[in-house]
Amino acid sequence: MSTYVYGITASSHPALPEDLGGVGDPPRRVRVLTEGGLAAVVSDAPEGLRPKRRDLLAHQNVLSQAGAAGCVLPMRFGSIAPDDEAVTGVLAERADHYRERLGALDGRVEYNIKANHVEEAVLHHVMAENPEIRALAEANRQAGGGSYEDKIRLGEMVAAEVKAREAQDATVLQRLLEPLAEAVSVGPDSTGWLANVSFLVDRGSAEDFLTAVEQARKDHPHLEIRVNGPLPPYSFVEPGPAEPANAAAGADAGAE
Amino acid sequence: MSVVPAQQTGGGGGSSGLYDVLELVLDRGLVIDAFVRVSLVGIEILKIDVRVVVASVDTYLRFAEACNRLDLESGPRKSPGLPDVVGQITESGARGKSKGALSGAAQTISDAFNQARQEGEGESRPRARRTASARRKEEQE
Repeated sequence: MSTYVYGITASSHPALPEDLGGVGDPPRRVRVLTEGGLAAVVSDAPEGLRPKRRDLLAHQNVLSQAGAAGCVLPMRFGSIAPDDEAVTGVLAERADHYRERLGALDGRVEYNIKANHVEEAVLHHVMAENPEIRALAEANRQAGGGSYEDKIRLGEMVAAEVKAREAQDATVLQRLLEPLAEAVSVGPDSTGWLANVSFLVDRGSAEDFLTAVEQARKDHPHLEIRVNGPLPPYSFVEPGPAEPANAAAGADAGAE
Repeated sequence: MSVVPAQQTGGGGGSSGLYDVLELVLDRGLVIDAFVRVSLVGIEILKIDVRVVVASVDTYLRFAEACNRLDLESGPRKSPGLPDVVGQITESGARGKSKGALSGAAQTISDAFNQARQEGEGESRPRARRTASARRKEEQE
Protein backbone atom coordinates (compact mmCIF):
# COMPACT_ATOMS: atom_id res chain seq x y z
CA MET A 1 0.00 0.00 0.00
CA SER A 2 1.56 3.28 -1.05
CA THR A 3 1.59 6.25 1.31
CA TYR A 4 0.33 9.76 0.62
CA VAL A 5 2.40 12.45 2.34
CA TYR A 6 0.87 15.77 3.46
CA GLY A 7 3.70 17.36 5.32
CA ILE A 8 6.61 17.09 7.69
CA THR A 9 6.65 18.35 11.23
CA ALA A 10 8.50 17.89 14.52
CA SER A 11 7.63 14.72 16.43
CA SER A 12 6.84 16.96 19.39
CA HIS A 13 3.98 18.41 17.32
CA PRO A 14 0.62 18.24 19.15
CA ALA A 15 -1.61 15.33 18.15
CA LEU A 16 -3.94 15.82 15.21
CA PRO A 17 -7.72 15.59 15.58
CA GLU A 18 -8.81 11.93 15.89
CA ASP A 19 -11.04 11.69 12.86
CA LEU A 20 -9.09 13.82 10.42
CA GLY A 21 -9.89 12.69 6.90
CA GLY A 22 -7.41 12.97 4.05
CA VAL A 23 -7.51 12.44 0.30
CA GLY A 24 -9.65 9.80 -1.37
CA ASP A 25 -13.28 8.80 -1.41
CA PRO A 26 -14.03 7.77 1.25
CA PRO A 27 -11.36 9.98 2.87
CA ARG A 28 -8.37 7.97 4.08
CA ARG A 29 -7.60 8.32 7.76
CA VAL A 30 -4.70 10.64 8.50
CA ARG A 31 -1.92 9.21 10.63
CA VAL A 32 1.55 10.19 11.76
CA LEU A 33 4.88 8.42 11.15
CA THR A 34 7.80 9.38 13.37
CA GLU A 35 11.52 9.02 12.86
CA GLY A 36 14.06 10.60 15.17
CA GLY A 37 12.78 14.02 16.10
CA LEU A 38 10.64 14.31 12.99
CA ALA A 39 7.16 13.23 11.96
CA ALA A 40 5.37 12.87 8.65
CA VAL A 41 1.64 13.47 8.35
CA VAL A 42 0.41 10.75 5.98
CA SER A 43 -2.50 8.58 4.96
CA ASP A 44 -2.89 5.57 2.70
CA ALA A 45 -2.79 6.66 -0.91
CA PRO A 46 -6.01 5.89 -2.77
CA GLU A 47 -5.63 4.00 -6.04
CA GLY A 48 -5.63 6.23 -9.07
CA LEU A 49 -5.53 9.49 -7.14
CA ARG A 50 -6.24 12.43 -9.38
CA PRO A 51 -6.04 16.10 -8.53
CA LYS A 52 -9.73 16.55 -8.01
CA ARG A 53 -11.06 19.56 -6.25
CA ARG A 54 -12.13 17.54 -3.22
CA ASP A 55 -8.70 15.95 -2.88
CA LEU A 56 -6.92 19.26 -3.26
CA LEU A 57 -9.11 20.65 -0.51
CA ALA A 58 -8.49 17.62 1.68
CA HIS A 59 -4.75 18.13 1.29
CA GLN A 60 -5.09 21.78 2.22
CA ASN A 61 -7.43 20.99 5.10
CA VAL A 62 -5.09 18.43 6.68
CA LEU A 63 -2.24 20.93 6.47
CA SER A 64 -4.39 23.71 7.90
CA GLN A 65 -5.37 21.56 10.86
CA ALA A 66 -1.82 20.40 11.45
CA GLY A 67 -0.43 23.88 10.93
CA ALA A 68 -2.80 25.41 13.45
CA ALA A 69 -1.03 23.50 16.22
CA GLY A 70 2.55 24.16 15.15
CA CYS A 71 4.93 24.41 12.25
CA VAL A 72 4.45 22.01 9.33
CA LEU A 73 6.43 21.83 6.12
CA PRO A 74 3.69 21.31 3.53
CA MET A 75 4.28 18.90 0.68
CA ARG A 76 3.14 19.86 -2.77
CA PHE A 77 -0.11 18.12 -3.64
CA GLY A 78 0.17 14.55 -4.87
CA SER A 79 3.38 13.26 -3.25
CA ILE A 80 3.23 9.48 -2.90
CA ALA A 81 5.84 7.22 -1.32
CA PRO A 82 5.97 3.49 -2.08
CA ASP A 83 5.32 2.67 1.59
CA ASP A 84 5.67 3.98 5.15
CA GLU A 85 9.31 2.86 5.38
CA ALA A 86 10.21 5.00 2.38
CA VAL A 87 8.78 8.01 4.22
CA THR A 88 10.67 7.40 7.46
CA GLY A 89 13.74 6.68 5.36
CA VAL A 90 13.54 10.16 3.82
CA LEU A 91 12.98 11.73 7.24
CA ALA A 92 16.14 10.08 8.52
CA GLU A 93 18.17 10.89 5.45
CA ARG A 94 17.34 14.59 5.32
CA ALA A 95 16.73 15.16 9.03
CA ASP A 96 19.11 18.12 9.33
CA HIS A 97 17.53 19.95 6.44
CA TYR A 98 13.97 19.51 7.74
CA ARG A 99 14.96 20.51 11.27
CA GLU A 100 16.57 23.64 9.95
CA ARG A 101 13.44 24.57 7.96
CA LEU A 102 11.11 23.77 10.86
CA GLY A 103 13.22 25.99 13.08
CA ALA A 104 13.32 28.81 10.55
CA LEU A 105 9.58 28.71 9.94
CA ASP A 106 8.46 28.12 13.51
CA GLY A 107 5.76 30.56 14.57
CA ARG A 108 5.39 31.90 11.04
CA VAL A 109 2.63 31.62 8.50
CA GLU A 110 2.20 32.42 4.84
CA TYR A 111 -0.14 35.06 3.53
CA ASN A 112 -0.68 35.03 -0.20
CA ILE A 113 -1.73 38.24 -1.84
CA LYS A 114 -3.21 38.42 -5.28
CA ALA A 115 -4.36 41.63 -6.86
CA ASN A 116 -6.29 42.67 -9.93
CA HIS A 117 -7.31 45.97 -11.36
CA VAL A 118 -10.91 47.01 -11.08
CA GLU A 119 -11.08 47.44 -14.81
CA GLU A 120 -13.39 50.39 -15.09
CA ALA A 121 -11.42 52.21 -12.44
CA VAL A 122 -8.10 51.64 -14.12
CA LEU A 123 -9.54 52.71 -17.47
CA HIS A 124 -10.64 55.93 -15.82
CA HIS A 125 -7.13 56.45 -14.54
CA VAL A 126 -5.59 55.73 -17.92
CA MET A 127 -7.96 58.11 -19.69
CA ALA A 128 -7.47 60.78 -17.08
CA GLU A 129 -3.71 60.67 -17.29
CA ASN A 130 -3.17 60.30 -21.00
CA PRO A 131 -4.49 63.13 -23.20
CA GLU A 132 -3.66 61.26 -26.39
CA ILE A 133 -5.81 58.30 -25.41
CA ARG A 134 -8.55 60.64 -24.27
CA ALA A 135 -8.55 62.46 -27.58
CA LEU A 136 -8.58 59.25 -29.57
CA ALA A 137 -11.43 57.83 -27.51
CA GLU A 138 -13.39 61.02 -28.00
CA ALA A 139 -12.78 60.98 -31.75
CA ASN A 140 -13.91 57.37 -31.94
CA ARG A 141 -17.00 58.13 -29.95
CA GLN A 142 -17.96 60.98 -32.21
CA ALA A 143 -17.44 58.74 -35.21
CA GLY A 144 -19.94 56.32 -33.74
CA GLY A 145 -17.30 54.03 -32.30
CA GLY A 146 -14.65 54.49 -34.96
CA SER A 147 -13.35 52.15 -37.64
CA TYR A 148 -11.84 48.77 -36.87
CA GLU A 149 -8.36 50.26 -37.23
CA ASP A 150 -9.25 53.16 -34.94
CA LYS A 151 -10.49 50.77 -32.31
CA ILE A 152 -7.41 48.60 -32.53
CA ARG A 153 -5.19 51.64 -32.26
CA LEU A 154 -7.03 52.94 -29.21
CA GLY A 155 -7.23 49.51 -27.61
CA GLU A 156 -3.55 48.89 -28.14
CA MET A 157 -2.62 52.16 -26.50
CA VAL A 158 -4.95 51.49 -23.60
CA ALA A 159 -3.66 47.94 -23.19
CA ALA A 160 -0.07 49.21 -23.04
CA GLU A 161 -0.99 51.77 -20.39
CA VAL A 162 -2.94 49.22 -18.39
CA LYS A 163 -0.03 46.81 -18.52
CA ALA A 164 2.38 49.50 -17.37
CA ARG A 165 0.07 50.27 -14.49
CA GLU A 166 -0.14 46.60 -13.58
CA ALA A 167 3.62 46.41 -13.19
CA GLN A 168 3.68 49.68 -11.31
CA ASP A 169 0.88 48.67 -8.95
CA ALA A 170 2.45 45.27 -8.31
CA THR A 171 5.63 46.98 -7.19
CA VAL A 172 3.77 49.49 -5.04
CA LEU A 173 1.79 46.75 -3.34
CA GLN A 174 4.84 44.62 -2.62
CA ARG A 175 6.77 47.58 -1.23
CA LEU A 176 3.86 48.45 1.06
CA LEU A 177 3.64 44.99 2.56
CA GLU A 178 7.15 43.65 2.65
CA PRO A 179 8.28 45.70 5.65
CA LEU A 180 5.75 43.68 7.66
CA ALA A 181 7.00 40.32 6.43
CA GLU A 182 10.11 38.30 7.18
CA ALA A 183 10.41 36.93 3.69
CA VAL A 184 8.78 37.40 0.32
CA SER A 185 8.18 34.90 -2.46
CA VAL A 186 6.91 36.13 -5.79
CA GLY A 187 4.64 33.64 -7.55
CA PRO A 188 4.36 32.96 -11.25
CA ASP A 189 2.94 35.54 -13.63
CA SER A 190 -0.44 34.79 -15.04
CA THR A 191 -3.32 36.47 -16.71
CA GLY A 192 -5.37 35.95 -13.56
CA TRP A 193 -3.71 38.65 -11.53
CA LEU A 194 -1.27 41.55 -11.65
CA ALA A 195 0.42 40.55 -8.41
CA ASN A 196 0.82 37.14 -6.85
CA VAL A 197 3.11 37.42 -3.86
CA SER A 198 3.45 35.35 -0.72
CA PHE A 199 4.65 36.88 2.51
CA LEU A 200 6.09 34.99 5.46
CA VAL A 201 4.62 36.62 8.55
CA ASP A 202 5.24 36.05 12.22
CA ARG A 203 1.99 34.94 13.87
CA GLY A 204 2.48 37.73 16.39
CA SER A 205 2.46 40.43 13.74
CA ALA A 206 -0.26 38.94 11.51
CA GLU A 207 -2.66 41.59 12.77
CA ASP A 208 -0.32 44.36 11.63
CA PHE A 209 0.09 42.72 8.26
CA LEU A 210 -3.66 42.51 7.73
CA THR A 211 -4.07 46.11 8.83
CA ALA A 212 -1.53 47.11 6.20
CA VAL A 213 -3.49 45.17 3.58
CA GLU A 214 -6.64 46.96 4.63
CA GLN A 215 -4.85 50.28 4.36
CA ALA A 216 -3.59 49.36 0.90
CA ARG A 217 -7.17 48.64 -0.13
CA LYS A 218 -8.25 52.06 1.06
CA ASP A 219 -5.34 53.88 -0.53
CA HIS A 220 -5.58 52.05 -3.86
CA PRO A 221 -9.26 51.61 -4.55
CA HIS A 222 -8.59 50.69 -8.18
CA LEU A 223 -7.01 47.46 -6.94
CA GLU A 224 -8.93 44.39 -5.95
CA ILE A 225 -6.69 42.80 -3.35
CA ARG A 226 -7.27 39.24 -2.21
CA VAL A 227 -5.65 37.83 0.91
CA ASN A 228 -5.34 34.17 1.70
CA GLY A 229 -3.95 33.13 5.03
CA PRO A 230 -2.79 32.15 7.48
CA LEU A 231 -1.54 29.26 5.35
CA PRO A 232 1.13 26.64 5.89
CA PRO A 233 4.33 28.11 4.47
CA TYR A 234 3.99 26.53 1.02
CA SER A 235 6.24 29.09 -0.61
CA PHE A 236 8.96 28.99 2.01
CA VAL A 237 9.75 25.31 2.48
CA GLU A 238 12.93 25.48 0.45
CA PRO A 239 15.53 28.08 1.31
CA GLY A 240 15.93 28.80 -2.41
CA PRO A 241 12.92 30.73 -3.68
CA ALA A 242 12.23 32.65 -0.50
CA GLU A 243 14.42 35.67 -0.09
CA PRO A 244 14.63 38.03 2.84
CA ALA A 245 12.24 40.91 2.34
CA ASN A 246 14.96 43.51 1.86
CA ALA A 247 16.86 41.39 -0.65
CA ALA A 248 13.70 41.02 -2.72
CA ALA A 249 13.21 44.78 -2.65
CA GLY A 250 16.78 45.25 -3.81
CA ALA A 251 16.36 42.85 -6.70
CA ASP A 252 13.18 44.62 -7.66
CA ALA A 253 14.81 48.01 -7.72
CA GLY A 254 17.61 46.60 -9.79
CA ALA A 255 15.21 45.30 -12.37
CA GLU A 256 13.67 48.67 -12.99
CA MET B 1 -14.63 27.47 2.64
CA SER B 2 -16.15 25.56 5.50
CA VAL B 3 -13.72 22.70 5.03
CA VAL B 4 -10.79 24.96 5.69
CA PRO B 5 -11.38 26.32 9.16
CA ALA B 6 -8.04 28.03 9.61
CA GLN B 7 -8.56 29.82 6.34
CA GLN B 8 -9.21 33.47 6.12
CA THR B 9 -10.13 34.83 2.78
CA GLY B 10 -10.79 38.37 1.80
CA GLY B 11 -11.77 40.36 -1.20
CA GLY B 12 -12.58 38.06 -4.04
CA GLY B 13 -15.32 35.99 -2.46
CA GLY B 14 -15.38 32.26 -1.83
CA SER B 15 -14.65 30.72 -5.17
CA SER B 16 -11.76 32.93 -6.12
CA GLY B 17 -10.30 32.46 -2.65
CA LEU B 18 -10.48 28.74 -3.22
CA TYR B 19 -8.80 29.04 -6.57
CA ASP B 20 -6.08 31.18 -5.09
CA VAL B 21 -5.28 28.60 -2.43
CA LEU B 22 -5.34 25.68 -4.85
CA GLU B 23 -2.77 27.41 -6.97
CA LEU B 24 -0.42 27.26 -3.98
CA VAL B 25 -1.30 23.64 -3.13
CA LEU B 26 -0.50 22.54 -6.67
CA ASP B 27 2.43 24.72 -7.45
CA ARG B 28 4.40 25.20 -4.26
CA GLY B 29 5.33 23.17 -1.23
CA LEU B 30 7.99 20.59 -0.61
CA VAL B 31 8.93 18.16 -3.37
CA ILE B 32 10.89 15.03 -2.48
CA ASP B 33 12.64 13.23 -5.32
CA ALA B 34 12.15 9.81 -3.77
CA PHE B 35 8.36 10.18 -3.93
CA VAL B 36 6.20 9.86 -6.99
CA ARG B 37 3.90 12.73 -7.87
CA VAL B 38 0.35 12.26 -9.04
CA SER B 39 0.00 13.17 -12.67
CA LEU B 40 -1.40 16.64 -13.07
CA VAL B 41 -2.15 16.31 -16.74
CA GLY B 42 -5.39 17.96 -17.69
CA ILE B 43 -5.75 20.28 -14.78
CA GLU B 44 -6.93 23.61 -16.03
CA ILE B 45 -5.91 25.30 -12.84
CA LEU B 46 -2.27 24.62 -13.62
CA LYS B 47 -2.24 26.48 -16.86
CA ILE B 48 -0.25 29.50 -16.00
CA ASP B 49 -0.68 31.41 -19.21
CA VAL B 50 1.88 34.08 -19.52
CA ARG B 51 0.31 37.38 -20.33
CA VAL B 52 -0.90 36.66 -23.80
CA VAL B 53 -4.40 37.96 -23.39
CA VAL B 54 -3.46 41.56 -22.83
CA ALA B 55 -1.60 41.63 -26.12
CA SER B 56 -4.39 40.24 -28.28
CA VAL B 57 -6.61 41.93 -30.83
CA ASP B 58 -9.63 40.81 -28.84
CA THR B 59 -8.36 42.69 -25.84
CA TYR B 60 -7.69 45.80 -27.89
CA LEU B 61 -11.23 45.77 -29.23
CA ARG B 62 -12.63 45.14 -25.79
CA PHE B 63 -10.68 48.03 -24.31
CA ALA B 64 -11.68 50.32 -27.17
CA GLU B 65 -15.30 49.39 -26.62
CA ALA B 66 -15.00 49.89 -22.89
CA CYS B 67 -13.43 53.32 -23.36
CA ASN B 68 -16.13 54.24 -25.78
CA ARG B 69 -18.78 53.54 -23.19
CA LEU B 70 -17.00 54.87 -20.17
CA ASP B 71 -18.95 57.70 -18.70
CA LEU B 72 -16.33 60.35 -18.89
CA GLU B 73 -18.15 63.26 -17.36
CA SER B 74 -14.83 63.81 -15.73
CA GLY B 75 -13.06 63.64 -19.13
CA PRO B 76 -12.14 64.95 -21.80
CA ARG B 77 -12.54 68.69 -21.26
CA LYS B 78 -13.10 68.79 -17.58
CA SER B 79 -9.83 67.52 -16.21
CA PRO B 80 -10.95 64.90 -13.77
CA GLY B 81 -10.87 65.95 -10.17
CA LEU B 82 -9.50 63.08 -8.18
CA PRO B 83 -12.36 62.87 -5.67
CA ASP B 84 -14.74 62.34 -8.54
CA VAL B 85 -12.78 59.47 -9.90
CA VAL B 86 -12.18 57.93 -6.51
CA GLY B 87 -15.87 58.04 -5.68
CA GLN B 88 -16.76 56.00 -8.73
CA ILE B 89 -13.92 53.62 -8.18
CA THR B 90 -14.83 52.90 -4.61
CA GLU B 91 -18.32 52.10 -5.66
CA SER B 92 -17.33 49.72 -8.36
CA GLY B 93 -14.64 48.26 -6.13
CA ALA B 94 -17.12 47.45 -3.40
CA ARG B 95 -19.49 45.81 -5.81
CA GLY B 96 -16.61 44.01 -7.42
CA LYS B 97 -15.77 42.38 -4.13
CA SER B 98 -18.99 40.52 -3.88
CA LYS B 99 -19.04 39.14 -7.39
CA GLY B 100 -15.63 39.27 -9.00
CA ALA B 101 -13.26 41.81 -10.30
CA LEU B 102 -15.28 43.33 -13.05
CA SER B 103 -18.81 43.16 -11.75
CA GLY B 104 -18.87 46.77 -10.78
CA ALA B 105 -18.01 47.81 -14.27
CA ALA B 106 -20.73 45.80 -15.90
CA GLN B 107 -23.39 48.43 -16.44
CA THR B 108 -21.33 50.69 -18.58
CA ILE B 109 -19.34 48.22 -20.51
CA SER B 110 -20.17 46.26 -23.59
CA ASP B 111 -22.16 43.08 -23.98
CA ALA B 112 -19.15 41.12 -25.03
CA PHE B 113 -17.57 42.18 -21.82
CA ASN B 114 -20.61 41.06 -19.90
CA GLN B 115 -20.58 37.72 -21.54
CA ALA B 116 -16.96 37.15 -20.71
CA ARG B 117 -17.65 37.99 -17.12
CA GLN B 118 -20.54 35.58 -16.84
CA GLU B 119 -18.41 32.81 -18.22
CA GLY B 120 -15.82 33.65 -15.65
CA GLU B 121 -18.20 33.65 -12.72
CA GLY B 122 -19.41 30.13 -13.23
CA GLU B 123 -16.31 28.42 -12.00
CA SER B 124 -13.14 28.92 -10.09
CA ARG B 125 -11.24 31.98 -11.01
CA PRO B 126 -9.98 34.41 -13.41
CA ARG B 127 -12.10 35.67 -16.11
CA ALA B 128 -9.17 36.50 -18.27
CA ARG B 129 -8.15 32.87 -18.34
CA ARG B 130 -11.67 31.60 -18.80
CA THR B 131 -12.21 33.97 -21.64
CA ALA B 132 -8.94 32.94 -23.12
CA SER B 133 -9.82 29.28 -23.05
CA ALA B 134 -13.32 29.96 -24.30
CA ARG B 135 -11.82 31.90 -27.11
CA ARG B 136 -9.42 29.12 -27.89
CA LYS B 137 -12.32 26.74 -28.05
CA GLU B 138 -14.11 29.01 -30.46
CA GLU B 139 -11.07 29.19 -32.64
CA GLN B 140 -10.83 25.45 -32.77
CA GLU B 141 -14.37 25.08 -33.91
